[in-house]
Amino acid sequence: MDQGVGIQIEGLSKRYGAGDTAVDALKEVNMHVAPGEVVGLIGPSGSGKTTLLKCLGAVIEPTQGRMTLGGEAIYDNGWKISDLRVLRRDRIGFVFQAPYLIPFLDVTDNVALLPMLAGRPNGEARARALELLTALDVAHRAKAETSELSGGEQQRVSIARALANKPPVILADEPTAPLDSERALAVMRILNQMAMQYQTAIIVVTHDEKIIPTFKRLYNIRDGRTVEEAGKGQALQ
Amino acid sequence: MKIPFTLPRQIWFVLFGVVLLLAFGWVALKSGPFAPIKVTLTQVTKGEVAPALFGIGTVEARRAYLIGPTAAGRVGRVLVDVGDTVKGGQLLAEMDPVDLDKRVASAVAAAGRGRSAVTTAEAQVQDAKSRQALAASEARRYIDLGKKNFISQSVVDAKLQQQQSADAQLSAGESALASARQDLARLDAEREAAQQQRGNIRLLAPVDGVVTSRDAEPGSTVIAGQAVLKLQEPGSLWVTVRLDQGRSAGVRAGLPADIVLRSSPDKGLTGKVVRVEPISDSVTEERIAQVAFDTLPPGVSSNEMAEVTLHLPAASDVLVLPNAALRHRGAQAGVWLRADGTLRFVPVKTGAEGLDGKVQIVDGLKAGDEVVVYSERELKDDSRIKVVDKLGTTK
Amino acid sequence: MISLAGRDILHSWGKFVLTGLGLGLLIGVTFTMAGVYRGMVDDAKVLLNNSGADLWVVQKDTLGPYAESSSIPDDVYRGILGMPGVAQAANVTYLSMQARKGNTDVRAMVVGFEPGQPGEPGYLVAGRRITRGHYEAVADVMTGFRVGDRISIRRHDYAVVGLTRRMVSSGGDPMVFIPLKDAQEAQFLKDNDAIVNSRARTAENPALNRPGVPGLLDAINASQTSNHNVNTVLVRVAEGHSPEAVAQDIRRWKHLQAYTRAQMEDILIAKLIATASKQIGMFLVILMIVSAAIVAFIIYTMTLGKIREIAVLKLIGTHNLTISSMILQQALGLGLIGFVIGKIAATLWGPLFPKYVLLLPEDSVRGFFIVMVVCMLASTLAIRAALKVDPATAIGG
Repeated sequence: MDQGVGIQIEGLSKRYGAGDTAVDALKEVNMHVAPGEVVGLIGPSGSGKTTLLKCLGAVIEPTQGRMTLGGEAIYDNGWKISDLRVLRRDRIGFVFQAPYLIPFLDVTDNVALLPMLAGRPNGEARARALELLTALDVAHRAKAETSELSGGEQQRVSIARALANKPPVILADEPTAPLDSERALAVMRILNQMAMQYQTAIIVVTHDEKIIPTFKRLYNIRDGRTVEEAGKGQALQ
Repeated sequence: MKIPFTLPRQIWFVLFGVVLLLAFGWVALKSGPFAPIKVTLTQVTKGEVAPALFGIGTVEARRAYLIGPTAAGRVGRVLVDVGDTVKGGQLLAEMDPVDLDKRVASAVAAAGRGRSAVTTAEAQVQDAKSRQALAASEARRYIDLGKKNFISQSVVDAKLQQQQSADAQLSAGESALASARQDLARLDAEREAAQQQRGNIRLLAPVDGVVTSRDAEPGSTVIAGQAVLKLQEPGSLWVTVRLDQGRSAGVRAGLPADIVLRSSPDKGLTGKVVRVEPISDSVTEERIAQVAFDTLPPGVSSNEMAEVTLHLPAASDVLVLPNAALRHRGAQAGVWLRADGTLRFVPVKTGAEGLDGKVQIVDGLKAGDEVVVYSERELKDDSRIKVVDKLGTTK
Repeated sequence: MISLAGRDILHSWGKFVLTGLGLGLLIGVTFTMAGVYRGMVDDAKVLLNNSGADLWVVQKDTLGPYAESSSIPDDVYRGILGMPGVAQAANVTYLSMQARKGNTDVRAMVVGFEPGQPGEPGYLVAGRRITRGHYEAVADVMTGFRVGDRISIRRHDYAVVGLTRRMVSSGGDPMVFIPLKDAQEAQFLKDNDAIVNSRARTAENPALNRPGVPGLLDAINASQTSNHNVNTVLVRVAEGHSPEAVAQDIRRWKHLQAYTRAQMEDILIAKLIATASKQIGMFLVILMIVSAAIVAFIIYTMTLGKIREIAVLKLIGTHNLTISSMILQQALGLGLIGFVIGKIAATLWGPLFPKYVLLLPEDSVRGFFIVMVVCMLASTLAIRAALKVDPATAIGG
């Protein structure tokens, strides 16, 4: 495993509160995901999955540890990046439980928004959006309003959005929770496809039994500690 | 929220915005201080101006008579009432004679006594005359006798003296007679005066007329000069018209007049100015003219109000404008002339003005000039105007 | 970069336009209120301008003739006419009374004037000027009279021969112009019953009703019913003379007061309108506060409705500034729509008000800036809420 790119997490801890009422949500978590890999993060609720995701997503500050992204340390017992927002915008993609598309933007602009925020000219951003939408097989809905799309189409658009700025990592939070098995597997198929195509490291937080077998590698988190496991790696056609 | 047509939605919004902006612009330019002032224009034309003078008048009697006693007294009887027609010389009323009758009687008696006194004086003169004659003849005889020295001189002197004394008595008697005659004349005159006084308490109508007022009833006391009755000659009613001094140019006797009585506003009557009073009213600043009716309508009361229009000779073939076009700038009267696309205030001099609002322009404009008649607001040199046919008469 | 504010507005245009409409009507009311105040001030100015006078000569120690009643003899003008610097001086009477037409009556300011002199209406919109010395009238269109109507004022009937516009008293009552003598009679002569009564009373007074002096009673009755007073003398100052200098001369007559145009404006606007202007000022402040509250509430609600989107936007890397600017732009856009609708509404319904509503361009410009500032301030509430949103809430629903 190439330790220099993708995501590397070492000894990450997160403590809420202080003194007697302190809660250790994460206790020295270690994790690594290679570019192109889709790794699952499973565990019961309250185990710290969400906390870990928030640390990775640079929305909360860990208490100690080290996070490296694409070879660059972003946290080393303190943020090493001055502007976390830019980090999230350019280098981390987010896929949520629900698509969370911006209702007042059409499909193309929802995806093109991120490159535009990054300063790309509108034409280029939209071209990139169209490229991703084509790859995700929703290009025919490019000009539609988000409310006109089916759930599956919306999810695909949100994945396209996550990829828009070509981030090295995508964090997916229960992306298949509301879906049935056929659609859930379809989403996993797409994620794997995209990971391969764009060499993105993808971490999928889930407790959906339907898709757990598809991971080649899993991290099991329990009481704030992670244990690496081998997954079944069920094939997705 | 979606609208059915997605494609031109941007365009719809832009359209909405454009419509809004246009409405806004229209509002900004058409109303408020930016908007041009609407005016109507007219041309100066040649026409006729029929000037007339208008005044309010009161119907009055040319001559009114106050009938009353020449001395204070009590009204005895009143024989006529308001509205009665009387003839000249008719007895209208009589004062209470009181003691006048007795006074007349006393004067007559006094005159009688005077006549007796004259008779007495005449008799006395006769007596004195006869004595004087006797004394004179005796004096002559004694003088003769004296000359012949038949009697003493003193006797002669005594007889001479008697003659003188008889002469004197005769003169005295004659003057007493004269005085008695003068006294009689006086008493006669007093008798006549008393009778005239008695006559004066009879109030007679001086002329044919109509009684217009009965001011004292029998039994009331009136003083000299107070009216018991007022009399008017019917047919002598005319209208006393008051004209504003400033608008009375040209008033003279002979002008034809239209008279409208307040009591019958639908009937138009005609008349003529018979006199312009030489003394005007300086307090109300009015000239006064007397207008006679051509035919006196029946049932006209005096002191009734009338509106009188006097027609002056028309001025024809003169430059004419409606008087609504006249404006003032400062103290200067003029009009707003539109020439060569600009608006300019031109002072004018006006002449005759008709009651219909047409006014003669004497100086300042020529025929064909376009002037502003009506305007929404006061005009200034730099006002922007918009010519319309008619100004709206709602606010 | 696309405009997030614009897209959001386009997306929920109905809500936006409706809110803008509501806000617009509120702003329209505000403009109208300001217009009412300006109208009152303009009424006062127009009253002074239309009189055509440079000086107002009134009874000493009064603020007349508009703010206070003033009565001076009608021959005073002769003396004033003879003073240096005086081009025209004319008697004028003013009195508010009812003018009747048929069964309706209208409250009007009846002005007695002399033709060609100050006090006459300067322009007409229909008909002609008065040509007869009595019983003709020129009325302002606000009375509702038309050319040819017959109206009654006190004891007499008048024919309306001309119409004018914007001739109003300082209280906003339309003016009716009649010849001075008629106005004097209308103002000072009582009705028939009162006259008969007063004649009876005079006749009962032995000092006035002397039998030894025939004609005395009539003379006294005549003097009681004669009217030789006016309310003011209006003066036009000759070219090259200063109104204040002429006014000073007139004031030296101990029983007269003279005001220049500037002083009359001060009297009318400062004294007469002062209370009304305070009320309107307070009302405007309240309206502004209400408008601000409404904008704040609407924008806040719209923002709250987007909380989740805002969290997502923040998470995926949108700058706080971009989000705040979106909210601000929406508030300003709302304000703009409200302003435009408000201005149009105020212009359209202004003429329907019984009093004169004057909407000045500078008021509109001022109003625009105030609306923008108010919207800006009102948006701060929503912006604060948006800034407080924690992007982490987007994760882990």
